[in-house]
Amino acid sequence: MAAATRSTEGERKGWWHVEKLGVGIGWRPEIDLTVERLPGVDFVEVVAENLHVGHLPESVLLLRERGVPVLPHAVSLSLGGAEPVDAHRVAHLGALAEALDAPLVSDHVCFVRAGGLDSGHLMPLPRTRDALDVLVANVKAAQQDLPVPLALENVAALLDWPDGELTEGQFLAELVERTDCHLLVDVANLYANARNLGTDVARFLDEIPLERLAYVHVAGGEENRGVYHDTHAHAVLPEVLDVLAQLRARVDPPGVLLERDDDYPADAELAAELAAIRAVLG
Amino acid sequence: MTGPQRERLAAAQAELLRALLADGAVPPGFDPERVRVEKRALLAKRRGIVAVLRPDVAAELGDRFRPLFDGYAAAHPKEVGTRFREDAARFAEWAIARGELQPPKKKRWWRRAT
Repeated sequence: MAAATRSTEGERKGWWHVEKLGVGIGWRPEIDLTVERLPGVDFVEVVAENLHVGHLPESVLLLRERGVPVLPHAVSLSLGGAEPVDAHRVAHLGALAEALDAPLVSDHVCFVRAGGLDSGHLMPLPRTRDALDVLVANVKAAQQDLPVPLALENVAALLDWPDGELTEGQFLAELVERTDCHLLVDVANLYANARNLGTDVARFLDEIPLERLAYVHVAGGEENRGVYHDTHAHAVLPEVLDVLAQLRARVDPPGVLLERDDDYPADAELAAELAAIRAVLG
Repeated sequence: MTGPQRERLAAAQAELLRALLADGAVPPGFDPERVRVEKRALLAKRRGIVAVLRPDVAAELGDRFRPLFDGYAAAHPKEVGTRFREDAARFAEWAIARGELQPPKKKRWWRRAT
């Protein structure tokens, strides 16, 4: 009996086992038909703010009918912002997860709004105890109102805050420890931060709890005047696939998803990028 | 409770966004060159979204779209609660008020098909 009732630490904490997702691509209205016909798309992601629960796009419903998991990905919760979380945004994300029968939802480790201004973008957080305390409180508040687990993604930064008290890996590890959230690791963002801020990729991967990895993002970008821009409008660099390989050397990720948001190429190019991702995963 | 942390974080984040989106000074400790790079990137993203939402405005302004939008954006940082469609509409109104853009012709439903 003792053996049967003994639980692992993960079970004690009620940790949810991440299901295998496979290889996927971000669904966007501009490439809906492409996503439907690309071979071997195991799952997709939708930008939560662009969908309405009562009027889901036909293409998204078709993918659901085929049994393809559709994961809502939010960009506006501003969980790292100083303001308390906007309950309406969380409710929308939760309602979307239920409408799509999604296994989890995600947003970013960032802030979007401050002082009455809206950056329209995912801004990096100061890696301080203050910022971590606020982020943790906001994430816990959001989790209370979400019907499914929440995964949080590392963002790409062009600038760094002064007086960081933690590395990015330590910051994320403590976030997971204190909230039981999952991680969505964007290897292109990690590459961007390595290029732009000097983030140590190996150390980042060593410091984050990879057992809490929900899935991975891969995206393209370009270098402009010595700064790497995570554009989602260019091809995926070999250097980004190399970061994916470094992650793969440590863990078999439950899922890997390609993001493309602009300057959409021919279907064959997206198929080739998915094939390149599969080749790295082995 | 996180009250004091929130206050300190709010001040720091607001100061950075004022530097990036409005005419605020670069906060101490930040690399001014990187703040310029980020400022340009945020402006380009906002301009790109408006161009997608209002291709008619971008097409009519042509080469003037970029400098005019950048002038508008500097004077009108995007405020919380403003949707991008509203941002695009306000830019169009701003350009019309300055005589840079033709006011829209009154549309009659029976003429729309022509």
